[in-house]
Amino acid sequence: MLLKSVEYVRPDTVPEALDLLRSNVGAAPLAGGQSLTNVLKHRVASVDLLVDISALAELRSITRTAEGVIEIGSCVTYDEIDHSREVRAGHDIVARVAAHIEDQQIRNRGTIGGNCCLSDPTNNLPPLLVALGATMNVRSAGGSRQVAAEDFFKGYFLTALEPGELLTSVTIPPLLSGVGAGYVSVSVAADSKAIVRAAARVEVKGVIGEARVVLARVASVPVRHRGMEDALRGAPPTAESVRAAAATIGNELEPIADSHGSSQYRREMARVVAQRAVLEAIAEGGGK
Amino acid sequence: MIRQGTTHTIQVTVNGQVYNRVVEARQLLVHFLRDTLDLTGTHIGCDTGSCGACSVIFNGQLVKSCMLLAPQADGAEIETVEGLARSGELDPLQQSFSAHHGLQCGYCTPGMLMTATYLLRQNPTPTEEEIRQGIKGNICRCTGYVNIVRSISAVAEAHRATAVGTTEGRDQQ
Ligand SMILES: Cc1cc2nc3c(=O)[nH]c(=O)nc-3n(C[C@H](O)[C@H](O)[C@H](O)COP(=O)(O)OP(=O)(O)OC[C@H]3O[C@@H](n4cnc5c(N)ncnc54)[C@H](O)[C@@H]3O)c2cc1C
Ligand code: FES
Ligand code: FES
Repeated sequence: MLLKSVEYVRPDTVPEALDLLRSNVGAAPLAGGQSLTNVLKHRVASVDLLVDISALAELRSITRTAEGVIEIGSCVTYDEIDHSREVRAGHDIVARVAAHIEDQQIRNRGTIGGNCCLSDPTNNLPPLLVALGATMNVRSAGGSRQVAAEDFFKGYFLTALEPGELLTSVTIPPLLSGVGAGYVSVSVAADSKAIVRAAARVEVKGVIGEARVVLARVASVPVRHRGMEDALRGAPPTAESVRAAAATIGNELEPIADSHGSSQYRREMARVVAQRAVLEAIAEGGGK
Repeated sequence: MIRQGTTHTIQVTVNGQVYNRVVEARQLLVHFLRDTLDLTGTHIGCDTGSCGACSVIFNGQLVKSCMLLAPQADGAEIETVEGLARSGELDPLQQSFSAHHGLQCGYCTPGMLMTATYLLRQNPTPTEEEIRQGIKGNICRCTGYVNIVRSISAVAEAHRATAVGTTEGRDQQ
């Protein structure tokens, strides 16, 4: 396929990349290219300059602090996350989710930063990062700022990033003892596009403490279901109370209907995946 | 730094041979291989990253070459299906595809072979489940995958028998 004429540049440092993004209005960062290349083929967005950030060393590291906080550079690939000791050490769920994104070829190129910055509602990492309470570290030529994952996803293919800004890394707080995470999807086929999915982070101290329940594919961005979260808080960590809490998921959701499922189907499956994700989180947290 | 521009002079090593070419930034890597270098073993099935027919090994990583641009290959080492056979003799994986009828029309085969080559490097003795996971990104419209999995399994079996590779897996690295 022939793409529209485009310029390409591969800077050596993040400041160089930021300068290029600031001084070229039609510039876009090129990370794994596993979505952007298709965007260019289909000519659905107009890009004049591709700033290849995929090999920038500063964006390619994973660190883990003594407290168990991990910071993953935006250009770390899914396959690298899957095989990272730092990630596996305390955030097995992140590695497991990365290990099941589409296929090996895409996992070898696709990056955590690109997965978030695209803000495609079917992408795997956004709901997980919202559930885990991650922080998105953002930089521009003018400075840096932090955005909670919860506030980062703004709509279909829309994030809180301003022109000229780069997502540089994602910081994920520790999953301490008694805190577990779960992630369950209904998808078109194994490791493929989600029809509906849920991610959860649940604290259990005898009874359920703080719970974050995030649903994806029921709206344009991952959404926390406060009703279910409230119903879980203080409840015993049993299948019955989780089922009762999931029953709060109802007509307030108006998911899209498409060839893979009606709105009603998605709403009912949201209840099922939310319940399973919370039970998975409880089981994982209890095992620590 | 690769300077900003719509055309770039790139140096790429493909199957051990070094090529210097001027490319347009908009050229897909698969077109660079097929049209510019005339290495037409790498196929195009979908052109959207969905079918795996264009799979090649890029700096040791399995990738779909329709999802990269030619200038991204500057300085890269690429392996394509043309590099598998040595002095006219098919490599063990190719021989196994032939022996186990791992292809019908053959359209998916170059991508399938590169994917299996990568898989067996990462894990010389994959289980059937791991093989099926490993080739998930490669679509075959003919075989129903059974004989493809059998072809790859046979090579894994041979590795198991000679205990090759038990220390080569990536988890041991
Ligand atoms: C056949 C196929 C199936 C797929 N299935 C799935 C799936 O099931 N689940 C899933 O999650 N994904 C899926 N993907 C998409 C894939 O995960 C992409 O890798 C991902 O959406 C984008 O990440 P990338 O690194 O490739 O980014 P790119 O494609 O390089 O970039 C995506 C967008 O983000 C911007 N961007 C990238 N990095 C940054 C940054 N650091 N700062 C600011 N902006 C940035 C780019 O400018 C671009 O607009 C699929 C892709 C294909 C081709
Ligand atoms: S042609 Fe590249 S994946 Fe189909
Ligand atoms: S043999 Fe025909 S597509 Fe696989």
